[in-house]
Amino acid sequence: MKRLALAAMLGLMALAPAQAQTVVKYLNLASIPAEVELMKQAADEYMAANPNVKIELPFLENEAFKAKLTTLLQSPEAPDIFHSWGGGVFYEQAKAGVLRPVEDILSQAAKDEMGTAGVAAFTAPDGHMYGMARDVAEVVVWYNKTLFAQAGLDPASMATWDGFLAGVQKLKDAGITPFALGAKDKWPAHFWWSKLVIRLAGMDGFNAAAAGEGDGFAGEPFVKAGEYFLQLAALEPWQQGFEAATYGDASGYFGDGKAAMHLMGDWDYGAMKDNSASKQGIPDDQLGILPFPTIEGGAGDPTDTLGGLSGYLFSKNASDEAVKFLEWYNSKAVQERFGQAGFYIPIAKGAADSMTNPFKVQIGKDISGAHWHALFFDQALGPAVGGVVNDVSAELAANAIGAQEAAELVKEAVDDTL
Amino acid sequence: MASVATNIDSVSGSVARPRRYVDRKSLVALLLFVPPSLILFTVFVVLPMIDAGTFSFFDWTGYGPITDYVGFDNYADVLKHRNFGTAVRNSLIVVAISLLIQLPLAMWCAIALSERGTHVNILRTIFFLPYMLAEIAAGLIWKFVYDGNYGLVPIIGDALHTKLPFVLADKLWVIPAIMLVIIWKYFGFHMMIYIAGLQSIPSEVIEAARLDGVKKWKIVWYVKLPMIWGAIVVSVFFSITGALQLFDLVIPLTNGGPQNTSHTIVTFLYQFGILRMKLGFGGAVSVMLFIACVIVAIVYRRLLFRTEANS
Repeated sequence: MKRLALAAMLGLMALAPAQAQTVVKYLNLASIPAEVELMKQAADEYMAANPNVKIELPFLENEAFKAKLTTLLQSPEAPDIFHSWGGGVFYEQAKAGVLRPVEDILSQAAKDEMGTAGVAAFTAPDGHMYGMARDVAEVVVWYNKTLFAQAGLDPASMATWDGFLAGVQKLKDAGITPFALGAKDKWPAHFWWSKLVIRLAGMDGFNAAAAGEGDGFAGEPFVKAGEYFLQLAALEPWQQGFEAATYGDASGYFGDGKAAMHLMGDWDYGAMKDNSASKQGIPDDQLGILPFPTIEGGAGDPTDTLGGLSGYLFSKNASDEAVKFLEWYNSKAVQERFGQAGFYIPIAKGAADSMTNPFKVQIGKDISGAHWHALFFDQALGPAVGGVVNDVSAELAANAIGAQEAAELVKEAVDDTL
Repeated sequence: MASVATNIDSVSGSVARPRRYVDRKSLVALLLFVPPSLILFTVFVVLPMIDAGTFSFFDWTGYGPITDYVGFDNYADVLKHRNFGTAVRNSLIVVAISLLIQLPLAMWCAIALSERGTHVNILRTIFFLPYMLAEIAAGLIWKFVYDGNYGLVPIIGDALHTKLPFVLADKLWVIPAIMLVIIWKYFGFHMMIYIAGLQSIPSEVIEAARLDGVKKWKIVWYVKLPMIWGAIVVSVFFSITGALQLFDLVIPLTNGGPQNTSHTIVTFLYQFGILRMKLGFGGAVSVMLFIACVIVAIVYRRLLFRTEANS
């Protein structure tokens, strides 16, 4: 009897792996309930069609994700698929061998759909492709039309830097906070420095500095970017207490109609609603996008944009099922659902056409028409240099550091990594 | 409470007692009880410490093999980092304020609340509650309290018809604001240690002093404090090491800001070592902090535990 039982148990144990589902974990950053719902629906749909696969969608908050990922990727608990902003952090991960190259297993159709920019963004310097591009993002100046009208400010007058500063002053005079800024998180402040650098140094200037050529980031255009930033900071354009405000706080402050503008990514369209007290945010007809002011004599192209080209990476223990799942999950048909709901601007060719939101449509056009779509500097430059860029940007916003010193600190950080 | 009191007594007592010959019975006890704690201590304290010590001599992002030996460069980088001095200064301020304000406050409350009674129990519980709260939760609660737009501070300001500063965004106010939270959070813990000590004082001693007509404050100074010296020594030690390791209250409150002025040594390590993927740099900070803690522990033992033994 005992033997029989033992044999039965052994038999069961042998059978179990064959029947077991392959678990595919996709570690994500989605925090807006409607978007999470959409993700779950898609996962359920895939699981219904592929009963041998179980999709799990663990979530980590943005900052926690960055902090935990290093350890996670080198442990057996590494997720199969995880969110990535590309750039320097991705290159480090690829170099360390914690990612799975997928160029051989990924279908040509999937690569074509991503386009050359998408493929390039997730190909490491070693020539291997480790992930899939999902979306493009752009940092824009969101503005509140009601508050502009209250101050009698014409948005068109803010197209040049001088006009921009004058407009800020006009808002201040009318008792309106010109900008929301979440400087506790620092990266929101670095968008200002980045936009100014894009205008003043342009693509070639930036790339040369990042490679440590010439004066690097201590060069003239970068010092100037700091000076322009300080000109703006001197007007005290941010909400009170901006240094203790997180991105979420600032987003809510703008969403509540308490600040006239917010320099932030296109994702803030949804986030400012979610972060506002009413959960409604600013109605579409009162919301607008301002082009970042042009600066005379700057080396940048007026069409240059700042933003992201984000996507997914596969960890080294990602299964074939994980790659198959993502091919489907990142296909045009599924991307369209997210595009339509306005959660991101899909990169899959034609998927962006599904977008109905006029803001997202405009941003999509901006990016495709850009001479240079610069990746978020704190990601492109890697965490060590990016961290210093964030530090000095937050200090420039507070008018607490000189432009020359700020530029030199960034150059020093680059020199350290070379 | 009584059991806590005897525990603390026996802890401080055993530290002070001179070494004794290990007999067979205690040898069995040693063999039974030491290995588990020794293994845990080795795996979770000693090995990571050796790891961190090793990292500190390498340039390492946290990914892949550790190969890039840089000698003492990381230590030099830490010492010349423009925010390191601030972090050290802040940690020392926390130590000083903990010792000079928090512990006396805890002692005062303990003396006032060491008698038995219902209202006393309620007050004790209220003072002890913050200690039971998770650090992150406490930090988030106080972030809301201090929030200048939606928090409690602007409401108080309105009631007083003044505009109060955004304390967490203000370089001047941020450290006092964090200190207030630390005192609020931990003084109840120290108060409990003292209460336990006070309750273990034989009532005859106090009675005798009272019958001799000794004034109340003199009873505290000459009778109570010397008799709970052991508890004070332990509480001061907790206070210093806790202050040096302060981390999880600061992260939700300020994340080290504004302008990296409110970092402690540990938040500095986390921000500039771990988050920026410079693990060697982080290792160097942690080795320095470790050495500082060891020095404090040794000096403290020599100075205070010995005076206790003498008395």
